[in-house]
Amino acid sequence: MITLIQAKENKMENTAVHKGYKIGDTATDFKLKNVDNKIVSLSDYKGAKGYIVIFTCNHCPYAKAYESRIIALNHKYASKGYPVIAINPNDPKVEPQDSFEGMKQRAKEKGFTFPYLFDQGQTIYPQYGATKTPHVFVLQKENGKNIVRYIGAIDDNYSDANDVSHKYVEDAVDALLANKPVLLTSTVAIGCSIKAQKE
Amino acid sequence: MQGQNTKMKVSGSGSITHVDQKVPVISFTEFESLIKKEDNKLYVVNFWATWCRPCVMELPEFMEVNRIYRTNPDFKMILVSLDPAKEVKSAVQPFLVKNKIEAQVYLLDDNKRMNQWIPAVDKSWSGSIPATVFYLNGVKVEFKEGKMQKNELIQLINKHLKNK
Repeated sequence: MITLIQAKENKMENTAVHKGYKIGDTATDFKLKNVDNKIVSLSDYKGAKGYIVIFTCNHCPYAKAYESRIIALNHKYASKGYPVIAINPNDPKVEPQDSFEGMKQRAKEKGFTFPYLFDQGQTIYPQYGATKTPHVFVLQKENGKNIVRYIGAIDDNYSDANDVSHKYVEDAVDALLANKPVLLTSTVAIGCSIKAQKE
Repeated sequence: MQGQNTKMKVSGSGSITHVDQKVPVISFTEFESLIKKEDNKLYVVNFWATWCRPCVMELPEFMEVNRIYRTNPDFKMILVSLDPAKEVKSAVQPFLVKNKIEAQVYLLDDNKRMNQWIPAVDKSWSGSIPATVFYLNGVKVEFKEGKMQKNELIQLINKHLKNK
């Protein structure tokens, strides 16, 4: 029995090779549909100094735990030139809760004040190299390009917003606003894997 | 770490079935002490959560593999749940009973140090689950982020059991 299984061709996948952006790379712009049915691009924000791009979704407990903090980030930084742009990267065929209709509902229920875009066809998240939700990319506009300055988690405690010691995204954006280098350019945290049919 | 109050039933054929498994809640330091042992044993560790759909999908194949190897004294499978610690009784333990999970399960509760322990497990780990790690004599010998198939698991287990 075991020998038979062993004899079968082994479907080894490439282990943990993450394609996608590194710090200092130029991030692509996109044209994605927002929950209000309008198409949104980064270039629509003429006065922006940069962007807080967050891959997030409806179903993931980690993403839900951060929703209020994502709203607070937009409230604090949109007026300073760093708006939040949220993108749902999941394929609703794999995760039905992450449908476009579900996104509209979630944005309404939570009162999202930022665009919540649908990565239809899943063409954007692989370019960024997002692997999970939530997954943040802080971009800084420089000579017309969007340069990746921070990749990772929002802060160091998903389960309790009142017990956070390091606000990674805020620290990064504050540094950029002060024309200082970002000290901690990447962090990792547990998240829900992005749902695609090929997985 | 809480005591391992796992009640075990040994059936006539010598196979061990965990019933009514209590899940110890551990820190990353405690997790390391579980696997950093020079005991010539191959530890197959799977990071998962009850809310993680791909994790739950791959568990039946992990259980099949565990049933093949668990009588081998040189092999041990450990499942590390990343569910919230407060849900250990309400979500994790009922899940284990319902899904007949027969491997040892721990709940890793070390949320504020994720940015330390995730890279300590593997530098390439982005933090998405499932993720599976093999340790032999306290040394990591395999790491895989994402779902694993039964054949791939068996092939890697055989490779490392042979290399001991």
